[in-house]
Amino acid sequence: MARNCARQDRRHPEDLMTQMTGSGLQIRERFVGQRCFKRVSRARRIRSRLGTGAYLRYVHGMTEIDQFESVFKAADKTPFAYESVAIGTVLIVTDVDATRTRELGESAAEFLRVLGTDVRWKFVGGDDFSGVSNLLEEVESHRPDLICTYRNLRIPAVDFPHSLGVYVDVLTQATTTPVLLLPHVDLADSKLRLQRGTQSVMAITDHLTGDQHLVSYAAKLTGQEGNLWLTHVEDEAVFERYMATISKIASIDTDTAREEIRHQLLKEPLDYIRSCREVLAQLEKSIEIQESVTLGHHLTDYRRLVEEHNIDLLVMNTKDEDQLAMHGIAYPLSVELRDLPLLLL
Amino acid sequence: MLTNLLAAGTTVHPAVTTIFALLLVGLIACLAFEEKLHAKKSVIAGIFAIVSLLLGAALDILPFQKTVVGSHLLEKHSSVVGEYDEEDHFVHVEIPATDAHDVQSAADAETPDPYAESHAEHPLHVDGHEVGMPVYIPAIEWGVIAIILGSSLFVDVTSKTGLFTWIAIRVTKASRGDPLILLVSYSVMTVVFSAVLNNVTAMIIVGSLTVVSLEKLDRRQQLLGFLLVEAFLTNVGGLLTLISSVPNIIVGTTAGISFVEFFVKASPYVLLSTALTIWLGARLFKIGRLATEQERANAAALVDSFDENDGIESWGFFYFGAAMLGLFIVTIALTSHLPYIRDLEMGFVAMMFAGVMLLRYKSEVDQFYRRIDWDLLGFFVFLFVVIYTMEHALVLQTIGNGLQWVLRDITAETANPLDATIVLIGSAVFSSVTDNIPLAAMLANILKSLGTPSSSGLWWSVIFGANLGGNLTPIGSASTLVAVTLMHKHKVPMSFVGFVKMAIPYAAMQITLAVIYVLVVFVLLGL
Repeated sequence: MARNCARQDRRHPEDLMTQMTGSGLQIRERFVGQRCFKRVSRARRIRSRLGTGAYLRYVHGMTEIDQFESVFKAADKTPFAYESVAIGTVLIVTDVDATRTRELGESAAEFLRVLGTDVRWKFVGGDDFSGVSNLLEEVESHRPDLICTYRNLRIPAVDFPHSLGVYVDVLTQATTTPVLLLPHVDLADSKLRLQRGTQSVMAITDHLTGDQHLVSYAAKLTGQEGNLWLTHVEDEAVFERYMATISKIASIDTDTAREEIRHQLLKEPLDYIRSCREVLAQLEKSIEIQESVTLGHHLTDYRRLVEEHNIDLLVMNTKDEDQLAMHGIAYPLSVELRDLPLLLL
Repeated sequence: MLTNLLAAGTTVHPAVTTIFALLLVGLIACLAFEEKLHAKKSVIAGIFAIVSLLLGAALDILPFQKTVVGSHLLEKHSSVVGEYDEEDHFVHVEIPATDAHDVQSAADAETPDPYAESHAEHPLHVDGHEVGMPVYIPAIEWGVIAIILGSSLFVDVTSKTGLFTWIAIRVTKASRGDPLILLVSYSVMTVVFSAVLNNVTAMIIVGSLTVVSLEKLDRRQQLLGFLLVEAFLTNVGGLLTLISSVPNIIVGTTAGISFVEFFVKASPYVLLSTALTIWLGARLFKIGRLATEQERANAAALVDSFDENDGIESWGFFYFGAAMLGLFIVTIALTSHLPYIRDLEMGFVAMMFAGVMLLRYKSEVDQFYRRIDWDLLGFFVFLFVVIYTMEHALVLQTIGNGLQWVLRDITAETANPLDATIVLIGSAVFSSVTDNIPLAAMLANILKSLGTPSSSGLWWSVIFGANLGGNLTPIGSASTLVAVTLMHKHKVPMSFVGFVKMAIPYAAMQITLAVIYVLVVFVLLGL
C-alpha cells in the first residue's frame, strides 16, 4: 500500500491530502520531504487532533485564498449574447384534412404575426404521412425553421390525456427544428386564444444563466411592446436535501450555508436577466423584460406564473444531448397546460 | 536598554550568556523548521519565551523592580539634597536648583555646568507611584504590536467594502486581456497592494484574481510565470513604505526613520527592481502581446464579463472605505508632523482608523476579531520577551561584539561599503531559510546598542536583506508560501528545489541591485 501511495504521490503529490480532507493540498508536508505514508499518518494525526475545518485552516492562507477566489469567480458574469433567430419557413403538421390544415395555418400566422409577412408557410396534413419515419422524411424535405403542430397528433387525447403522443415526442427529439405546440384544433376556444398573438411570452428553465438560445427565441417571438418573462425556478426539494446533509456536518455553519447558497443560486440568473435586458435594449427590441427568479416547486410555480401573468406562449428547452429535458419539467408542463401554446426548443 | 545595561556595568557570567545564546540558536532553528515541527510560530516563540523567563529568573539576570507610573517631570525646582534608598543602600543625591531651560542652555554652553549633565540624567519626578508590573510587560514593543493589530483590522474591514477587488477587476479590464499588459498590471498592483496592505493579503488578492482571469482567458499554462513574478514582487513592494512589512516597522522605528523619508529613499529601488523583475519574468516565461486583432478582441470580450461592482454591498461604505484608506495613508505619512498625533505614534493611528471602520459592523465586530492573525501577534509578543531576556543575558552584546569584529566601522555616519554589503547579503541569506522578523528585531537592537547613527546605510542593508531574502526559497516569506499554495491548489507542480532554481535569477538580480543601490545612495552619496 505504501508503494502504491508513493507512486501516486509522485504524480500528484497533493491528491492524497485532497482525498483525506476534501479540499486543497498540504504544502507543508511536501517541503519537508517525508515519504508518502508518513505524510498520510501525520496528516491523519493532525486532522484528528484539530478537526477537519481547523486542519484545512492549518494550511497557510488556504481559507483566505478560497475566499478571494470565490469573490472573483462571483464577479465573473456570464453575459447574454443575442443569437440571431431566422424563421423563414414554418411547417404546419396536422392529422386533419387539407382545409382544416390551412385553417390552422391561418391561426398560426395570426398568432405568430410578430414574424412578419415574409414567412413561407408549408403544410403537411393527415393524408401526407403514414407513420413516424414518413413524417420525419416529410419534415426533412421541407427543411423548416419552425414546426407547428398540436398535442396528441393522430392519437385521441381522450385516451391518452397524460401523453403528447408518439409523433410529437419524435418531432421534439429526432429533429433539430423547434416545435411549436398549439392548442388542439378540436378545442373550442383554440382560435380565440391564438388571435391574442404573443404579447406575453414566458421562457422557463431551471438553469437560465448562459441560455442565450432560449432567451433569443423567446425575445424573437415576443410581440411588439409585449412582455417577455424570464423565469428561473430553483428546485426547493433538491436544495432542502443538500441543506439537510449540510446540517449534519459540524464544520459547516448551516444557517450561513443556507443563506449564502440560496443567495448565490438566485443571484446568478438575476445577473443574467440584467445582462439580457441591457443587450436587448441595445438591439432596440421594443419589449419589456420581466423577471421571476425563485426557489420552489417547478410545476406548481410555473403553473402559477402562467396563470398570474396571462401568458400567451411558453418557451422551454427539450432538446439536449442526454434528452433529459423531456423527462424533466418540459413533459409534465406540456401535458398539464394543454390549451397553452408551447415552443419546445 | 542594552546601552543602559552597559552603562550600569552589568556583568553576567559567560556560561549564562552561552546558555541563552544556545536558546536563541534553538529558537531560530525551530523557526526555520517550523513546517517540519508542525507548530505555529507563536507556539515556538512562546515556549522559548517561557524557558528564557524561567532561566532568567533562576539565574538572577532579570530586573524585578517595581515601575513608577503617573509621575511628572519637575521643570522648575529648588536645590534638592538627600539620600536615595536603593535596596537598603543609601546613595547621596544632589540635584541643583534650575529649570528645564537652564539645563538645556547649560548643556549647550561651551563651559558646561558641572551639574547639568547629572541633572539631565537624573531628572526630578514627583507625584508618581510604584506599581508591580510583570517583567515581561515592558519587554514588549507595544507600539509595533499596535501598528500590526490596527493595520490588519483596518485592512480587513476596508476589504469588506469591496474596494480592493474593485481595483483588481478594473485593472484586469483595463488590460483588455492581453497577457503582457496583464502581467505588467498585476505586477504593479502587487507592489502597490504589498505597500499598502501586507504581503500575504496582496499575494492572496492578486494571486486569486490571476488564477480566475487566466482560466477565463484559457491561459493556464502561464499561471506559473504570473504567480512567481507576483510572489517575488510582494517582497519588493514590501520595501516601499515604513509600514509595508514587519522588518521595516521594527528597523525603521528603531533607527528613527520617518514614513516619508523611508518612502523617498526606498521607492527608486522598488521602481527599478519591479521593472527588471517584470522584464525577466516576461522573458523567461515567454509572456508576450497577442498577435492578431481577433485574439485581442476575444480576450477583451472575456475580461469585460467581469463585474467589478459585484462584491460591493453598499456604495456609501465603498466610498467611505476609499476615503478612509487615503486618509490612513496620509495620516501615517504625517504622523511625526501632526500635533497630538506625533506623541501617540503610528500604532495609535492604526488602531484609531480600525476603530472608526469597525463602527460600520458594530454589532458583529467579533467576525473581524476572529480573523486577526493571533499567531503573528503572539509570535511578536513572545519574540520581544525572548530578545529582552537575551539583552539581559548579554547575548546581543556578544553578537554585537562579533559583528564589530567582522565589520569595519559600525558607528560611522556613512557606512563602510564592505560592511553594508556583508550585512545586506548576510541578512538576505539568513532570511531565506528562517523568519526575517527575529533577524530584523535582533539586528535592529544590536545596531542601536552599538551606536549606529540613523544616517548609516547599515540600517538599510538590514531592511533590504531581510525583505529580499524571502525570495530565495518558498519558505523564505509568507507570500512566496501563498504563491506555492496557489500553484499546488491549481495543479501546477512545484517542488522546493524547483522553486529555488526558478527563484535564483530573480533573487540574484534583486539582491545585486539592492547592494548597488545601497552602496550608491547610502554610502557613496551619503543620502
